Amino acid sequence: CFRSAVLICRNYKGDVDMAEIDRFLPLLMQHEEEGLLCPVLSHGKVHFMWIKHSNLYLVSTTNKNSNASLVYSFLYKIVEVFTEYFKELEEESIQDNFVVVYELLDELMDFGFPQTTDSKILQEYITQEGAKLEVGKSKVPTTVTNAVSWRSEGIKYKKNEVFIDVIESINVLVNANGSVMSSDIVGSIKLKTMLSGMPELRLGLNDRVLFGLTGRDKGKTVVMEDVKFHQCVRLSRFDSDRTISFIPPDGESELMSYRINTHVKPLIWIESVIEKFSHSRVEIMVKAKGQFKKQSVANNVEVRVPVPSDADSPKFKTSTGQAKYVPEKNMVVWTIKSFPGGKEFLMRAHFGLPSVENNELEGKPPVTVKFEIPYFTVSGIQVRYMKIIEKSGYQALPWVRYITQSGDYQLRTNV
Amino acid sequence: MPYLGSEDTVRELRRHLSNPNVQSDPLRYRSSILKVIRAMSQGVDVAGLFSEMVKACATVDIVQKKLVYVFLCSYATLNPELSLLVINTLRKDCQDPNPMVRSLALRNMVNLRLPSLAEYVEQPLSAGLRDRAACVRRVAVLGWAKLHNLQPASEIDAAVVNELYGLLRDPDPVVMVNCLRALEEILKEEGGMAINKPITHHLLNRLGQLDVWGQCEVLRVLQRYRPQSESELFDILSLLDASLVSPHPPVMAATLSLFLVLCPDLPAVSFAALERVRGPLLAACGSASRETRFTALCHIQLLLRSLPGLMGAHYKRFFCGYAEPAYIKQRKMQVLVELVNDDNVAMLLDELRGYCTDVNADTAQAAISAIGRIGRSYSDQCLQILTGLLGLQQEHITSAVVQTMRDLVWVCPQCSDTVCSALEGCEETLQDSQGRQALLWLLAVHGERVRSAPYTLEGFIDGVRGEASPGVKMELLTTTMRLFVCRPAETQDMLGRLLHHCIEEETDMCVRDQALLYYRLLRCGMEETRRVLGGRRSEPSLGVLIGRPAEPISQWASSFNTLEPLKQGAGETETTGRASPQHVTFDLDSDLSDTLNSGAEELDYVCLEERIRCPAVPHCSPQSLQAAMQLVNIQTLAFTAAHASPWRVYLYTHAQQAARSALILGQLLYAGEDEDEDEAGLSEGPSPRGREEEVKVTLKQRPRDEKALQGFLSILTAVLHTLPFNTH
Repeated sequence: CFRSAVLICRNYKGDVDMAEIDRFLPLLMQHEEEGLLCPVLSHGKVHFMWIKHSNLYLVSTTNKNSNASLVYSFLYKIVEVFTEYFKELEEESIQDNFVVVYELLDELMDFGFPQTTDSKILQEYITQEGAKLEVGKSKVPTTVTNAVSWRSEGIKYKKNEVFIDVIESINVLVNANGSVMSSDIVGSIKLKTMLSGMPELRLGLNDRVLFGLTGRDKGKTVVMEDVKFHQCVRLSRFDSDRTISFIPPDGESELMSYRINTHVKPLIWIESVIEKFSHSRVEIMVKAKGQFKKQSVANNVEVRVPVPSDADSPKFKTSTGQAKYVPEKNMVVWTIKSFPGGKEFLMRAHFGLPSVENNELEGKPPVTVKFEIPYFTVSGIQVRYMKIIEKSGYQALPWVRYITQSGDYQLRTNV
Repeated sequence: MPYLGSEDTVRELRRHLSNPNVQSDPLRYRSSILKVIRAMSQGVDVAGLFSEMVKACATVDIVQKKLVYVFLCSYATLNPELSLLVINTLRKDCQDPNPMVRSLALRNMVNLRLPSLAEYVEQPLSAGLRDRAACVRRVAVLGWAKLHNLQPASEIDAAVVNELYGLLRDPDPVVMVNCLRALEEILKEEGGMAINKPITHHLLNRLGQLDVWGQCEVLRVLQRYRPQSESELFDILSLLDASLVSPHPPVMAATLSLFLVLCPDLPAVSFAALERVRGPLLAACGSASRETRFTALCHIQLLLRSLPGLMGAHYKRFFCGYAEPAYIKQRKMQVLVELVNDDNVAMLLDELRGYCTDVNADTAQAAISAIGRIGRSYSDQCLQILTGLLGLQQEHITSAVVQTMRDLVWVCPQCSDTVCSALEGCEETLQDSQGRQALLWLLAVHGERVRSAPYTLEGFIDGVRGEASPGVKMELLTTTMRLFVCRPAETQDMLGRLLHHCIEEETDMCVRDQALLYYRLLRCGMEETRRVLGGRRSEPSLGVLIGRPAEPISQWASSFNTLEPLKQGAGETETTGRASPQHVTFDLDSDLSDTLNSGAEELDYVCLEERIRCPAVPHCSPQSLQAAMQLVNIQTLAFTAAHASPWRVYLYTHAQQAARSALILGQLLYAGEDEDEDEAGLSEGPSPRGREEEVKVTLKQRPRDEKALQGFLSILTAVLHTLPFNTH
């Protein structure tokens, strides 16, 4: 039995009273105040399982000992579907589109059971153009009976192209003494398909990665865990001869994602010295070093250094880039537009501290770094080829792009 | 219409809806209906528009239809008579050539939730089961479940049930899964649908075609299947192997759950499955969704109960990020405590110390109490950190540290010296009642070793007038009394003042009664007072077992992959974090044996009683007894001090036989010499007095296994006979 936020409610099963949802917000507030917030809140026999997305709470209510991971997955699925429909899922988009929201909620779940949750299929028969009047529209979606449920027939493009993006995010946690506590790579291969008809695609990856994917060779290969393929990939084929073959969904989609849990050398290394002289000043010295190949360049690097909340009168000196004080977030943001590999840069900051004693306890926020390195992947994954075969025999061009970017990239400080 | 009240809004909307000009213009008509729904979503009571909306239902515009249905389904129960008017339109729509219209009508017909309409609904539902379009069949199948839910008392139509069983073979995967769901709902009373061999194999074969939700549904239903032979079981298990490492946490969890249910008699298989899901579970712990991470953590806690070593090498995966929500951090710490070992203890403690200064006070407290838990095995390192934290002079940190030290001292009395010296001066930073109570408790128990104890107490007593917490006052009374017993000269005066205040001016009855009780006790004389207050200390030789023994999987298998593990731990933190030792105090002579005995009665343990003659067991030192027992894999739970009478030891062991482990609980009782003479005298005639004494052994086991019990007894006897002989 599920309902979405206070904006819109849907009672699918009728075994939980609609009025129960009114108890959710007070309950949430109460737990938040006590610091006992938890994704499951209970009131009597009713359990609220909730997630938060921007300014919305998506809440499902149940009076059974339900399967928690399934409920959360479904709530996230709703977020995903709504986001694909409205670009942003927020209060305004729900209010502006609440007809579609009602329609979607009806299709997503019936009687408390998830039904059609694939947004590609949903988009075929629930459209925002529904707001414009078209009598007699909405024919049966072909996909409901089609063998290939994620692609409809009769798609046409003038120029046949497919864009392949290989994106890897690096998550790193570095301790204050400079040792890497944990690191992993989350990668994904995204497609933007603009191909006519029912094309048959075959993606070739380099062997090192392929072996890692199947986990057959335990030697030099990177072991990937948590590999997910889009449902279009023929898994049986992959298991037997390790080819990734599929009929792609039209437009944008994620073909596969993976995670590599390995020791990664932090691509941008930060050494920071933060000295607090109580009642007078804070001195910050940050050294950033690019620990990647000389030929590569990191773009839009942002080093965010925490400062005490009561700091004032900032002064900066940088060997490159610009430093800016963001008082509402209690941090200095040092921006370097272009950061070549192997280089080292310095930033010094000076802040005044008021003479009033401030509460010592602000936690120890870490230094975080954002960056993007094009034409480079940490795992070494490479697209060797992409074969596109369609019965009409057209020529199509594949375009490949590699990007490595920062994910959750934290370096703890010693303040 | 922002300025209109709810009644005006309804009137205005009605005027719009019944305006013929509006009705003839489809666009305007629809936008009026839109306004109604919007008002409804905003909580305006628009039930009065029911008849207008019923009229609006007859339209070719499918979006308008959907909107009207949303309205009708919300208000139908209030207008059962008027709803009859809708049913005709709906039944007509069920004949529509467009399958979308058919499925829409069918779904909403049942969603009106009116038992009175059941007779009109059944025919279209039956037709819907045989519809060409899959989307209509999906709705029809679930429609039967809804109908049954609406009138649970009504008789089950066998023909429908048969048809639903038949539809399990429907080519559309969603129809198939919906059939499962419908049958489960309709046959709930009979314990759900029948799961026989053909159905099971059919479902398993189609698992690959289903989406995540469908797979979970099938895996859950299959839990009721019992394979007929071992080879069938293994066929099923190998078929499920791929979903066991599914990247979708719900599928992975559902598969593991099924594994555990299918092979309760094959612990090796279950353990192998747990090992197999380690990767996916760890991956879920790093998921982008915090809720998934939280769920995974809670389930890892379950697994660790049976396989404590499962995640040992991966402890770094449970380190907390700065921005993670408190509930995840606290769970991670609970997991970290379980993973501690000689190799990682330094690293782990270092990490935990970092969390102690977290901005969130609850997280900081959880970190401190986690360090305290680790302190039970690595007391020196932990005490060093805890004492260091006192130096920060932060209110909530000091409070948590003192509470943790109190809990630690109770189980590890050898820490008391360090704790006593750390306590000096920390009363100034303590503000909350929990922390002050802990400090007072520590002073009561170890007051003779804390130099400044009387001064600290004096401070408390001087401020007792302004003290709000009755708990602190009661603790203060006890502490002052105890300190008076061991340091009378320093405390006599303040005890007098305290008792006077509590008896004459105190308004809280509990505090006053306690004060009166102590006053009367003092009048009974010093000896009596000492005797009454002297007890209740943790005995240095009381060897409470550190670290839990691995539980059998069956203990938690049924709650795996449900909501329960998410709720469970929260309560656990509460008890481990906050409960004071006084609440968990057990009196060796009554409570523990009660627990054992009551457990025996409830669970129908079978007992075996034997008397063993052995030389002077009660006189040997607890350490040597424990060491001797551990050599043969017998664990001691607790024992009384040497020379106490009656003298008892509680012990247990896991007996391994035929791949099934059985727990044996045992009690050794030496009742003292006089009693022993009596009893022994009755049964065997006068026993020769001297070094030969009898110890009564009581063994409990379920299910009873005579061979195991006898084996255990003979080992135990052998051990007792080899014990070194300490004389004083």
